[in-house]
Order: sequence, then C-alpha cells, then structure tokens
Amino acid sequence: MTELSEYLGILVALVLAGAFAAVNVGLASVLGPKKPSRVKSEPFECGQVPLSLPVGRLSIKFYLTAILFVLFDVELVFLYPWAVAYRGLGLLGLVEMGIFLGVLMVGFFYAWDNGALEWQ
Amino acid sequence: MTDLLILVPELVLVAVALALILVARHVRRAQIAAASVVVAAAAAALSLWFFPLDNPRTGFGGTIAGDGYARFFNILFAANLALAALFSVRHLEEEHVPPAEYCALLLLASTGMMLAASAVDLLILYLGLELMIVCSYILVGITRDRLISNEAALKYFLLGSFASAVLLYGIGLVYGVTGATDFAAIARGLTERNLARDPLLLVGVALVAGGLAFKIAAVPFHAWAPDVYQGASAPVAAFLAAGSKAAGIAAVVRISSTAFAPERAILSDILVALAALSLVVGSLLAIAQSNMKRLLAYSSIAHAGYALLGLISGTAEGASATMTYAFVYAFMTLGAFGVVVALGQRGEELEGYRGLAYTSPVTAALMFLFLLSLTGIPPTAGFAAKFAVILSAVRGGYVVLAVLAVICSVVSAFFYLRVAVLMYMTEPEGSAPGRFPVAVSAALAVAAVVTIAGGVFPDALTAWTVPP
Repeated sequence: MTELSEYLGILVALVLAGAFAAVNVGLASVLGPKKPSRVKSEPFECGQVPLSLPVGRLSIKFYLTAILFVLFDVELVFLYPWAVAYRGLGLLGLVEMGIFLGVLMVGFFYAWDNGALEWQ
Repeated sequence: MTDLLILVPELVLVAVALALILVARHVRRAQIAAASVVVAAAAAALSLWFFPLDNPRTGFGGTIAGDGYARFFNILFAANLALAALFSVRHLEEEHVPPAEYCALLLLASTGMMLAASAVDLLILYLGLELMIVCSYILVGITRDRLISNEAALKYFLLGSFASAVLLYGIGLVYGVTGATDFAAIARGLTERNLARDPLLLVGVALVAGGLAFKIAAVPFHAWAPDVYQGASAPVAAFLAAGSKAAGIAAVVRISSTAFAPERAILSDILVALAALSLVVGSLLAIAQSNMKRLLAYSSIAHAGYALLGLISGTAEGASATMTYAFVYAFMTLGAFGVVVALGQRGEELEGYRGLAYTSPVTAALMFLFLLSLTGIPPTAGFAAKFAVILSAVRGGYVVLAVLAVICSVVSAFFYLRVAVLMYMTEPEGSAPGRFPVAVSAALAVAAVVTIAGGVFPDALTAWTVPP
C-alpha cells in the first residue's frame, strides 16, 4: 500500500481542480444576470440566420469511409512498437510484420474490390 | 518453426478464409464456397494425423498446447464447421447471402474455437474466444433485410461484449494476484505462495467463470441464447449451438483442471450453482415454447448444465465425461437443427411438424432419433454421455444434484417427445416438404451415424477424450 500514497498529490490536485470548476460554474449561475430573449435562444451561425436544420442528413458513404479509416488507422498503431523494437526482433519480426500487413492488405483488397472506395 | 506445426489446423482454416475473401466478388455459387469449407475442415482434421506431436507439447512461449485434448476439440470443431457449411448451401441461395464472405466467417470463427481449445494462457484463450464471437455476431446478423436477425445480432453483440469485458476483468484480477497468465504458472503460484484464499483471486475466478458461462449459455448468463438462435438463420444457430458451447466447455475444462485446480473448492461451488440453475431453468422454460429454434435454445441451456456436471467432482474421469458430452451434444444438436434447416420455413414452428411422419417418414425418423438422443434414451449417444456425467457427479458425492439432473431429464422428455407426438400421432397438414439438397442430406446422415454409433459403442469415443 506504500505505492498508493505516492498518488496522494494527484488526488489532491484532482479534488481541487474539480472544486474550482464547480465553484465557478455555481457562482456564475447564482450571481450572473439573466435576461433571456427570443433572439438569444436561436441557433447562431456566424451572424447569419440559420439556413438549414442543425442536424442535416449525411450520406451513408461517410460512414463507410470513416469505418475504413478507423480500421486501418488502428491496425497501423501496431507498426510503431515494431519499429521501436526492430533491432531486437530482427528477421523474425520482419517476417511476422510482413504476414500481418499481408492479412491487412487482403482486407483492403476486399474493400477495394467490392467498391467501398468508389464515391458514386 | 516447429511451433507452427502445433497450429497447422488453424493455419489451414485461415489460409482458406483469406483465399475466399480475395476471390469473394467472383464466387457466386454457394456450393463452391461450401465445398471449399468442407475441404478445409477435412484438411485441418487430417493434418492432426500427418503431424504427430509428442504429447504434451507447447509452443509460442508456452501459450499454445498441441496435446491430445486440443486435438480432440479440433476434430470436433472441424466436423462442426463442415456440417454447418453443408447445412448453409440452400439458405445462402434463398436469402441472397454473399457465400464467400459467409464461409470465410465460418472458417475464422472455427479458427477462434480451435485457438481457445489449444490455449494454455489466459490471453490466448481470450483472443480465441473473441475471434469466435466477433465472427458470430456478423453471422447472426448476416441476413440484413430480416428485422429479427438484426435484433438478434444487436442483442448478441451487446450482451457478448459485456461478457467479454467481465472475462477480461477476471483475467486482469487473476494476473494481478498471481503475476502470471499461463495456466501452469497460475496453478504454481496458487499452491507455492498460498494465495488460494485471497479475496481478489476469488473475485477473479468468479468473473472468469461468469465470462465463460456466457459462451456455453449457462444460467444466469443464458439470456442471449433463445433470441439469438431464433433470430439467426437455422444453419448459423446450429453452428453456434454446437461450436460456441463446445469452445466454452473446452476452455472451462482446461482452466478448471489446470490453472484453477488449487481453487477446486470455490470453483466446485460456482459450477454446482451454474449446473443446477441451467438444468432447472432450461428444462422448465423449454416446455412453454412453440418455436422450434427457441425450444432447441432452451434445450441447449439445459444441456450446458448436464455438461458441467462432469466437472464438479474435479476428477479426470469427470473431465473426460464432459468432453464426451460436448462432442455428442454437438452432433445431436447439429442433427436437430439440420432437420429444421431441411424443412425450411415450415420447420421453424412446432406446428410445422404436424403429421410429418406420413408425408416424409425418413425426415421424421431422423428428427425422432435426434430428439431421443437429446432426451437421453438408449441406444443413442445422448444416453451414454448423460449417464457418464451423472455417474461422475454421484461418484463426487453430489447425489442431490444428480437426482435433480435425472428429474430434469424426465421433464425434458415431455417437450422433446411432444414433437415426436406431433410428427407421428397427428394428421398431416399441408403438402409434403420438397426434396432437400444433397449437401443437407449428407450432413444429416453424418450427424445420425455419430449419434447412433456413440450410443452403440460408447467406449470408442472415451479413448479419444484425453483430459488436459
């Protein structure tokens, strides 16, 4: 349990920061002047009267692109520890990363082949 | 390099899955995709004989074992994969499911099951089970235009990811207490450092048991099974009922007889509770079902209870009885789901079985055989397997639990034989079902042969059941 006492400072800072934020928000809502009007509660777009509903319809294609991005981006995270430990791993590491990227490329090829990258 | 030899069955399945993904756009016929899966499954099973390994042997830094135990379950998973692929042929064409993707998912899910059975390390075990269940989520929801299927997939995903988190949390606690993730080191740490009574460890053991109980659909972690089996198409439900349960049982047997063996007392208590609840809840709720897939789902919950009976005493004979039970259950439930597949839409509801014996006597006879085996009536494999697990519970001193199992078995006879009564003792309604595809008939024949052979020669299988 001695290790845990080293975190006491962080805990104190956390409590103080939370209290500071809570006190400021609380004071502002108690002391601040309130003059609501219709104009104030309208959605605001750089001084313009809003042209469309704030939540419009998005094309489903963005979803596919985002999913593909997340997939391949997260997979590439594994390349960094490999690059850092490259000298120690040697040829075996190179071959294993080759296999990993090969499997990844099969998935990429599948997405490409089935038209996931076309923006029609 | 020699490490790779342990993984040859898994590598075969992954290679075929990757090849199917590569050519997915050009595979239009379900027969071709299903045939490649059957070939892959056969190759994976045969490869176990071509690479005889000295027993027991581990590889990859002592995380994966190539022992007789893993080999037994690998054969089971290969057979499950092949039968599920054969059942799927007509379904893929009728529902316009892309065949190559579907078959690749079947292959990858089976790879996960095999990894889970071979794992001797908690993290590899988790990895295998995750690979299995992530593919299963997609398989359940693969008929995108059916609402019930979407709902089933979503429920399965939410409950499944929660159960995976519970399992992972348990693994984390066990690692925190023992400082190890591989089974042998955990057992060593528990006995040498006398950690067996550590409260954190008990929580860890309970969480791991809960996470694995979800995979085998044991009460109170069973809620997903009826909805998922009903929402998934019948071949997928068959694949899950046999495969997911066997993978969970493989993991539970290995963990309870190696890693947590020093924790025998607490583990036995957990297993007794899971088994008793599963037996009672599964058997009682099945009575009220009018949908065949839901009935088989509740039956699968009850059978999870029977399978766990063998593990409670903690003996090698008990573990081997549980392994036999998983094997036999896989084939009889595949057979019963196979008849549902064969009858198509008509087979989903119990009413569809009305007078089936008059319009198609062979199908009715096959269904009767599988139902007899699920009930546990000789001379079927279900009887021999059920007898062995109940005997092991009696020998372990759990007589009350054994009596409960027998009573639940009698209760289960009511709803299984009700289907038989519908088939044989009521007037037929509607027209006779059409002819089945050859693939479905072949798979049904295999399941029937194993179900009969396992009952006539019960000892033949026992020789293969090597406890870990």
